[in-house]
Order: sequence, then C-alpha cells, then structure tokens
Amino acid sequence: MKTRPVLTLDDCMKIHAAAEAEARRNSWNVAIAILDDGGHLMHFARMDGATPANAGIALEKGRTAAISRRSSGKWEEIVKGGRTSMIKMPGILPVQGGVPIVADKVCIGAVGVSGVQSHEDEQIAQAGIDALLKG
Amino acid sequence: MTMRSTFRIAVLAAAAVVAVPGLAQQPNPLDNVPEKMPFDIPYGTPISLERAEAAIAAAAGESKKHDWKMNISVVDSGGNLVAFQRMDGAQIASIKISQHKATTAAMFRRETKVFENGIQSGLNYLITLDGIIGSRGGILLMDGGKLVGAIGCSGGTGSQDEVVCKAGAAAVNK
Repeated sequence: MKTRPVLTLDDCMKIHAAAEAEARRNSWNVAIAILDDGGHLMHFARMDGATPANAGIALEKGRTAAISRRSSGKWEEIVKGGRTSMIKMPGILPVQGGVPIVADKVCIGAVGVSGVQSHEDEQIAQAGIDALLKG
Repeated sequence: MTMRSTFRIAVLAAAAVVAVPGLAQQPNPLDNVPEKMPFDIPYGTPISLERAEAAIAAAAGESKKHDWKMNISVVDSGGNLVAFQRMDGAQIASIKISQHKATTAAMFRRETKVFENGIQSGLNYLITLDGIIGSRGGILLMDGGKLVGAIGCSGGTGSQDEVVCKAGAAAVNK
C-alpha cells in the first residue's frame, strides 16, 4: 500500500509561529489559515487589527491552494493572462496569498494569508512553510 | 360553490368552534410578557488573539487529559472567527460545527445549551430562528460583565464538548 506524509497540528503550530513572526517583523496584521490536503481547516489565527473579511479570504486562498495543489497566485496569473473564464472555477479564489505545502513531492495541505498586499501575504505563507520544511 | 366545498367549510367551522375553548383552557406560555429582557448582556471590545489562543490552549489541554480529539473555535463579539485549532484525529464535520456553536453563542448572547434545552422541551419554533444550533458546547467569553467573544467545541458528545469549552472559558474569563 502507498503511504504518504500527513500534516499534524504540531506542524501547523510551527508553520503558524513562523508565519506570524514574519508578519510581526513587518508590522503587518493578517489572518493565517492552515488547511489539510482536503481543504479542511486545521489551524487559524487572526491577528489583532486584521479584519473579519481577512478571515474568510485567508481561508479561501488556503483552500484554493490545498485542493488544486498549486498556489492561488498561479490562478491569479492565469486569470490575468486573459483566461477570465477561470474566475468561475469551483472552489478557486484566484488571488495571490495561498501556498501549497509540498513534502516528498506530495501536497499535504496549504497556508492562506490575507491582510496586506497579496505578494506580502504570500511572503508570510511561504515563511511559515519554509520553517516547517527547511527549518 | 359546489355542494362538497360548502360541506367542507361547515366541517371546518365546527372544528374551530370546538378548538377555541380548548386553547382557552391551556394558556400559551409564550404569551407571557416578562418585564426584563433575557440575556441583556452588553457587547464589549472584541477579544484579542492572545486571549483567544489562551482559551484554545486551555481547552485543548482539557481535551488531551481525556484523550478527546476536538475542534475548537474562538470568535469575537461580532461572531467572526479569531482563532481555531483542530486536534489530530478530530472529525472533519466538527470544524464548522465548532465555529457555528461559537458564533451562535456570541450572536445570541447565551450558551448554545439554552437552545438545546428549549428544543428538547418542545419549543420547536427555535429551529426556525436564523443561525441557531441546538447543541451544547458554545459558551460566552466575558470581560468585566461584557461579552468579548465565544468559544465553541465539537468532536465528542455534547457533554464532552461542553466540558472542553468550559475549561477554555475559565482560563480567560475575567
């Protein structure tokens, strides 16, 4: 039988700590969502000053990356490239800031961030993932 | 009007005459007008992430003692998600249920057990209210008599969920 790595709550806490540290370093207030490979929420935190809207956006960016196995930024690029029909893809929020967590070439989940500029959101998500995979 | 429909109206009218005295004998308890509003709790400053995470840590600690796998949500006084944790092995359906419980508690300013009790005692109209969840395990987070948020737990029986919630609330309520 095939086996595969699985994201644990401990992993999520590591990711979250590093991501939040990255946000704090820059004085950014964001919402950070960490989901499993089924797009189901595992860990969530909305920093003081981040809006209720950020909560939902972070979740949807993360879910996009988790279930499509590619970053939500990739989807944004596709839409920007002219394929506007991709806006109607089910379960896809084509806005940068959702990044898949890939371990041993398998997507085990994703991190979604919302609160600052989209490329900064992605920077926070990536910092969290790097702390888990490279730390 | 046909003969048949006339007959039907006559039967209904007779039934109404019988039914009205029956109601009069048993007054509707919902007609009672209390002087004070129930659960008249003021909304306070939305809970900080730090306190929300402290509540979740305490709730998860209580869960671990029993080897229960819980989903734990904390929302602010507006019912919006502030922090969430799914313990390893917790069921997926309870992600939304835990959040629903917390939001319902915050928005109705009462623990969700109130709705569970009400529905159990036959107040079926409660099910028709917006955003209701008729299951215990959603509790208010308070600060100086003001509502600052709510915690919701789901994953076990309602009674297990409630134990975990209470541990979380006790750690941060002032």
